Amino acid sequence: MTDSGSPEHHGIGFSKVDQFESVFRAAAKVRFQYSAVEVDSVLVVSDRDEREAAAFGDRVRSLLGVLGRGENIRWRVTHGGEYDSVPALLELIEAERPGLICTYRHLHSDSWQWPYTLGEYIDVLTQVTTTPIMVLPHPEQQLERHVRRTKVVVAMTDHLVGDHELVNWAARFTDEGGRLVLANVEDAAALDRFIETVGKIPSIDTDNAREAIADRLERDTHDYMDSCAGEITRAAVPITVESVIVQGHHLTEYIRLVEQHEADLLVMNTKDEDQFAMHGLAYPLAIQVRSVPLLLL
Amino acid sequence: MSLRVLATTVVQGAEQAAGQAAEHVAGEVPMGITLLFAGVLVALIVSLALEEKLHAKKSLIVGLFAIVALLLGAILLPLPYGPYLIGGHEMNMPVYIPAIDWGVITIIFGASLFVDVTSRSGLFTWIAIKLTKLSGGDPVRILWLYGLMTVVFSAVLNNVTAMIIVGSLTAVSLDKLGRNDKLLGFLLVEGLLTNIGGLLTLISSVPNIIVGTAANISFVAFFLKAWPFVVVATVATLLLGAKLFGIERLADEQAREEARSLVSGFDENDGIESRGFFWFATGMLVLFIIAIATTSIMPYVSDLGMGFVAMAFAVVMLIRYKSEVDQFYRTVDWDLLGFFAALFVVINVMEHAQVLGLIGQGVERIVALGPTLGTGAVMISTAAFSSVTDNIPLAAMLAKIIAGMPLADGMIRPPTDPLWWAVIFGANLGGNITPIGSASTLVAVTIIHKHGLKLSFGGFVSKALPFALMQIAIAVVFVLFVV
Repeated sequence: MTDSGSPEHHGIGFSKVDQFESVFRAAAKVRFQYSAVEVDSVLVVSDRDEREAAAFGDRVRSLLGVLGRGENIRWRVTHGGEYDSVPALLELIEAERPGLICTYRHLHSDSWQWPYTLGEYIDVLTQVTTTPIMVLPHPEQQLERHVRRTKVVVAMTDHLVGDHELVNWAARFTDEGGRLVLANVEDAAALDRFIETVGKIPSIDTDNAREAIADRLERDTHDYMDSCAGEITRAAVPITVESVIVQGHHLTEYIRLVEQHEADLLVMNTKDEDQFAMHGLAYPLAIQVRSVPLLLL
Repeated sequence: MSLRVLATTVVQGAEQAAGQAAEHVAGEVPMGITLLFAGVLVALIVSLALEEKLHAKKSLIVGLFAIVALLLGAILLPLPYGPYLIGGHEMNMPVYIPAIDWGVITIIFGASLFVDVTSRSGLFTWIAIKLTKLSGGDPVRILWLYGLMTVVFSAVLNNVTAMIIVGSLTAVSLDKLGRNDKLLGFLLVEGLLTNIGGLLTLISSVPNIIVGTAANISFVAFFLKAWPFVVVATVATLLLGAKLFGIERLADEQAREEARSLVSGFDENDGIESRGFFWFATGMLVLFIIAIATTSIMPYVSDLGMGFVAMAFAVVMLIRYKSEVDQFYRTVDWDLLGFFAALFVVINVMEHAQVLGLIGQGVERIVALGPTLGTGAVMISTAAFSSVTDNIPLAAMLAKIIAGMPLADGMIRPPTDPLWWAVIFGANLGGNITPIGSASTLVAVTIIHKHGLKLSFGGFVSKALPFALMQIAIAVVFVLFVV
């Protein structure tokens, strides 16, 4: 009805345009894209002798019974005599080109009982190979409960929206009739730091900003998780999908969720495009959560 | 009698009184004084044309000129001071109060408040996203659907809001589809279509309201006259836009499937906070359009006018936000309302200073070129002036001048007189020639720049000129042979 002068005269500078763009960007949801993960070969890496390595291989097969679902898997178990250094192991992996590597912490080392590193082999493997690595409890570790089949799989991240790969792998490793728990843990400390900065900017209402940001983060994640559940059901994968969205201290929350859900497998990302080291909190988590198998993508 | 009825009666009476006073003083103003006031008017128009350079709000620019005009008027002119005779009662009020066309002010105030509250329901974004999904992500279908949406939103809401909604959605959807290379073309076509949509109804643009009110054109009569042009001009603009900007259908089924999948991610319900309010707002919008369309034939309501209807609907909508209505008051475009009020004051003083009469003589010469050439020339010159300066004062001035130009037989010009329509079409379409010609095209340019695309003043003119010339040519033919 009005048609005169500059946009600013209508109070519609960048802010009003941006306001509507925000509305439409929020409506443009990221939908989960299901694609069946195919694992055609598994390389089990052990540092024990042949007999113990075979026993470890059996434990892995038992844990990954879900892989038997409709696929012919080629299994290969390596023992400690087949390699004695990281380059040698990498050569072996290059020759095998497995779809999945299963191993444990501190290969060829006695420091597995010290929960401060993953050992040089896994440190390098997680960054050098693109193959997902499953890290199981050390064969000598006394576990509170036996490793069982992957009935409860927890996929954990601080930014699940759009991470189709994480969800697809987690779904693939969830045993028939099992539960896939999608857990998104927003880092409360990071949010607090931003809100503290917002609190120093007079033009932004701090309380509104805190509420709006937290609400938007949760809503986007929730919508994505809903689409995950919908697509997985549509693909007739025989599992149930649950969603957990929490805010808190990353490590504490991750460990609490693993315990709360009695996870049989924890799936997380480890690659970080900006650095050679393992992604964010994956490293400390992989070190601290020692009694639960981890799938590192 | 309600207060509002009383107020309306007072204002109408005061306007008549002011008009009578104007007639009374006609012929008593020396030419030197008339030319002095004409100089003030020219300075005002130049200042408005340079508003971007002045970095001043329009209400302030015109407000300052209103003060100068009133002071000069008080010193040099016999202004029609009160008391005014209203319904048999003498009433006192400052001379600048009856000078303002409160009918126009209340329509703009009420309608923008109503639209603002209605948009909070998520209705407009719901429609926009539904159409996006309907397009299946195909660029040509998007262009047509967004183009039609622009026209309808411009007609029902206002040009600027329509451009913001459709332009924002265009930027987001083309980004999602990976078609940012077509953004400039889309936004330009949509910007140009806002001024076509602005011609659809009496309340679609301010020049329509001003000229339509002066010519006594009803909402329905306006729509029935204007819609064929809007349809033809929209189709022609979209066809030309697709051709000039190389917007084509997707080549194969795989590309179509991919695009469908991308736009299916849009959730039209995301912006809806309350389903109940959404439906309430939808119902109210339909009722609003019906009420505005039938105001002139509704008993009692016709006496109160469209401004009353617009404000009544706004107040009813505000009930939803009864504890936070002040938030909506803050979003009202007070600058625009102040601009109008001050502008009406300036024009009123110019009328008393015989400046409008002087300009009218010039317009009469153009009109005297004949019913065909004269009317066409009025439209083209109105469009040319609108392209570089504000079309609202131009429309207000021309409306007053034409109203004061009776037909050869002494009868007043009927609503169907082509001269009214020449001004309406010229004032709206002139905005498509330059980026400063209308606020909505300027919004389009704002969005273009926001997304890092370069478009200079000259660049806009060179791209928009084929569209503007085509639209004006269609309009000339339409006004001369169809209206």
